[in-house]
Order: sequence, then C-alpha cells, then structure tokens
Amino acid sequence: MFRNQYDTDVTVWSPEGRLLQVEYAMESVKQGSACVGVRSNTHVVLGALKRSVSELSSHQKKLLEIDDHIGIGIAGLTADARSLAKYMRNECLNHKYVFGAPITPALLMGDLADKHQRTTQTYVRRPFGVGLLVAGIDPQFQTAHLYQTCPSGNMYEFYASAIGARSQSARTYLEKHYESFTEASLDDLIIHALQALVGCVSGDDELTKENGSIAFLGKDQKFTMLEGDALQPYLDRLELKNAEEEKDDDDDEEEKEGDGPQAMET
Amino acid sequence: MFDSAMPPKSKPLRSGGFNKNTSSIFDPLAGQIHNSEGYGATRGKIDHGVTENPYERRFSPYDFNGGTCVAIAGSDYAVIAADTRLSSGYEILSRDMSKLHTLTDKCILGSAGCKTDVDQLRSVLDIKMKMYHHNHRKTMTTPAVAQMLGNTLYYKRFFPYYAFNVFGGIDEEGKGAVYSYDAIGSFERTPVTATGSGQAYIIPLLDNVIAHRNRLDEKRDLLKEEVVEIVKDAFISCGERDIYTGDKVEIAVITKDGIEKTYFDLKAD
Repeated sequence: MFRNQYDTDVTVWSPEGRLLQVEYAMESVKQGSACVGVRSNTHVVLGALKRSVSELSSHQKKLLEIDDHIGIGIAGLTADARSLAKYMRNECLNHKYVFGAPITPALLMGDLADKHQRTTQTYVRRPFGVGLLVAGIDPQFQTAHLYQTCPSGNMYEFYASAIGARSQSARTYLEKHYESFTEASLDDLIIHALQALVGCVSGDDELTKENGSIAFLGKDQKFTMLEGDALQPYLDRLELKNAEEEKDDDDDEEEKEGDGPQAMET
Repeated sequence: MFDSAMPPKSKPLRSGGFNKNTSSIFDPLAGQIHNSEGYGATRGKIDHGVTENPYERRFSPYDFNGGTCVAIAGSDYAVIAADTRLSSGYEILSRDMSKLHTLTDKCILGSAGCKTDVDQLRSVLDIKMKMYHHNHRKTMTTPAVAQMLGNTLYYKRFFPYYAFNVFGGIDEEGKGAVYSYDAIGSFERTPVTATGSGQAYIIPLLDNVIAHRNRLDEKRDLLKEEVVEIVKDAFISCGERDIYTGDKVEIAVITKDGIEKTYFDLKAD
C-alpha cells in the first residue's frame, strides 16, 4: 500500500511493519533459475538448472563446494553468492585450523544468518540478493542436513526445498514425495532431484546434461559434482522412469474407456 | 681482604703463577681463571662455559627436534623417507612421530627441525592448497606446490620457520620430482637430497650411489625397489653415527598409482 514512500532505504520501516528493501531482495531470488535440495538420513543432493545468457555462452555454475562436507546451491545474484561462498570457505578453513576439526554446518549457518541480518540493519549496505540451499553433514553425529537462507537473514532447515524461477512445481513434487526420501538410496535421491527440476524448465526447453547439474554429499562421501557426461546416465534413467509411468497411465486409461458409455455426449 | 699472606690452596692458580704479593689493583688480569690457552691479548677471554664476566642469557624461540629426511627422484617414481625419532637435547620425546606429510596423492613433504614450526607450516600449506582447489577446481601440481612452499617460507624471512624440508612427488609428465629447501625458501629441483641432523652422512652416499657422481662405471636407471634398499642402508649407517636418528624409518614410494608406505626398524639406542 505504501510501497513507494517507504522502500528507498533498508533502514526504513513501512507502516505495515515491513522492510520493503529486504522483500525486494527476496524477489531477486525468485528471478534466479531453479535450485532444488533433497535429503535422506545419509545423503544430501542438490540439483540446479544452469542458465546461459545466449547459445554462444557457457552455463552459469550454480553448485559450489564449500568444504568436503558442505556444499551450496544458489539462486539470485551470482556475484553475491560467490562472495558468500568465499566467506563460508574461509570460515571452514579457519575453524579447522583453530579447532582441529571440520566445522558443524549448523554453526556455519548461524554465522551466515547473522551476516545476512547485519545488512538489513545498516544504512550503508544492501541485503544480499541471493538465496542459498546449503547441504551439510554434521561431522560429529554423521547426520545429513539441508538448510535454506534468504536475504532477510531467516534460516530454516528442510527435508527438501526448491528456490528460484518456477520452483513451485518442484516444491509441489517434493511435498508429495518427501516422506520417501529418508530411506532412499543415493541414486534414487538424485532421480528425485532431477524429477523436481524437470518441472522448473521454461516452456520449450528440456533438462539436458548441459543445463542440469547435480551435487551430492553423504556420511562417508565427500562433496562430488555430476555435470555433463557424468549426468547422462541419470537423465536416461529418469526418461525411462517417466516413459514407464506414462505407459502405465495410458494402460489405465485404455481400460477405463472400455467400460461404460461415453460421457459428455449430448 | 687481600690474602697475600698465604698462597691460595682451593682456588685455581691466579695469573702470574705463584703468589708474588702483587696487589690486584695493579694486575688487571688478576682474579680471572688461569687457562693455558690465550696469551697476551687473548688471555682470559676464552669462554669455557664458566666465566665471571657478565653475559646475556636469551630465550631461544627455536628448539631442534632432530631427525633426518631423504628424498630421491626416479624415472617414474619418487621415494621419500624419514626416521621417526623426535628428540630434544639428549632426551627422546617419541620413537614414533612421522616427519612425512601427504599434501596431495602425488606429493609428500618431509620436514626436520623444530616440530612446532613444521606443524604450523603444514597447516598453512594445507589451507592454501584447499583454497587453490576451491578456486581452480583441481588439485595443485607438484611443481606448483614446490613453488608455493618456497614462497611460504620466504614470507617468514625475518622470523623463519625452523623447518628443513625435502619435497618429493610426481610431476605432470609422470617423472619423479624432488626439491630441497633451506629454512627461508631457497629451493632447487634435484635428483637426490637429504636434510636434518644426519644429512651430512647421507648426502655423500646418495650422491655416489644414486646420482652416480664420481664413479667410473656406467650409470643405469635404478628400480624403486633398489632405491628403497639403498635408503634403508643409508639410514642404518646414519643411525649409527647420528644420535638424533634412529628407532624407525618411514619410507613412502610415490608413483602415478598412488602412495605406498612401509616401515623399517632401526636401532633404538
């Protein structure tokens, strides 16, 4: 309602009690291409749809390694994300140097959330225009975690999540299936992540080994990326799975048509 | 008081030999311990560890923890070995402390000197290599690590890491690469090197047997198994003469297929 008058500075409240600049920053996340994360008891898988500016250019990297046991997927301003990644990498190395052990992802997320919050309460800086999906394995308890941060500084833990453009269809798919993730194998998790991504491609495009990317980590598994040719077997398996499901659906439909009179004929 | 009446019995001979009733006021060298070295200008100035003149005691930030490291480059392998004794002064602190540190699956750093400086150097290198991996998305090559180690040491040129390093690995062409360093980062790629308390015993031996210097027979390429045997012999001989070397030798052989470590017992005296 009062958007125009109270949205210039991040340090100005709107009459409804909102920080409009922060909300605008969150819009920026929705402009980025889709990124999904799924987790089981033992592994976390991140998937991303890489965007390219034109046919001549390369696809923008969206999955970054932070440490052997922590990785992130980004959506929004890539440059902001790289700055955050640099900060997180330094924190991980510093922690290992000072305490002799890898950092707990929860601890790192706390620091990250604070870093985001600081930018929402000062005149001279702007909020980060990027949302992160952070996948991590707790080195002490060997548990898998998936976190999401946004420009507001809020940080939540998820069983599965998706951010970026057209991510609602991914979230719908994840909401339907997330209960089966906890005991799923790594391969199945990757297929789920790809399946969720498929819904996020725009109109004519499809998910290919060029624009898709997967990263995973697990209890005894260091951060690993699957891109290009390494991704093809999973895409093939996904295609196979979808083709089978379509066939099943068609079979069901044919059976139905056989019984009863045709409807809708007047 | 002046005890010129009786010649001193328990005190050492004063300069001038027999007591001649000379007062200390006139003899500037009186009161100093007699020594047979030093005549004239040098008289009384040699320090035997017990002197009566004021001298400065300084805290030394360095300790020498002993040990010897060796590295040898082959045609398609590198052998790097070090003893496992950790000592301080005449005491042994540990008989099983490794001096070798794996940096990548293709290179190993061996360091003798002050253990805490060595550990710190390794931590710093590990951090730099991880950052490199993040930024370049690949592992550092052996020559790159060699250069970085040299730079890291020079960075502390005016308060050095008391670490004497040998660095061995496989280079990008698959050949063995060995580099030797001093404490402030001067380094060179060499076929053989040794460092630490026993380097003077080992280097001449390796120069002759492996680098084939000062020999008249034909040089031939040695197999890694032969080199390992030579290294064992070198350490046995070194352990006999050098008190800081002994207990065990840790031998690592690096090939393109990975790193193989073996242990060889030495005398524990």
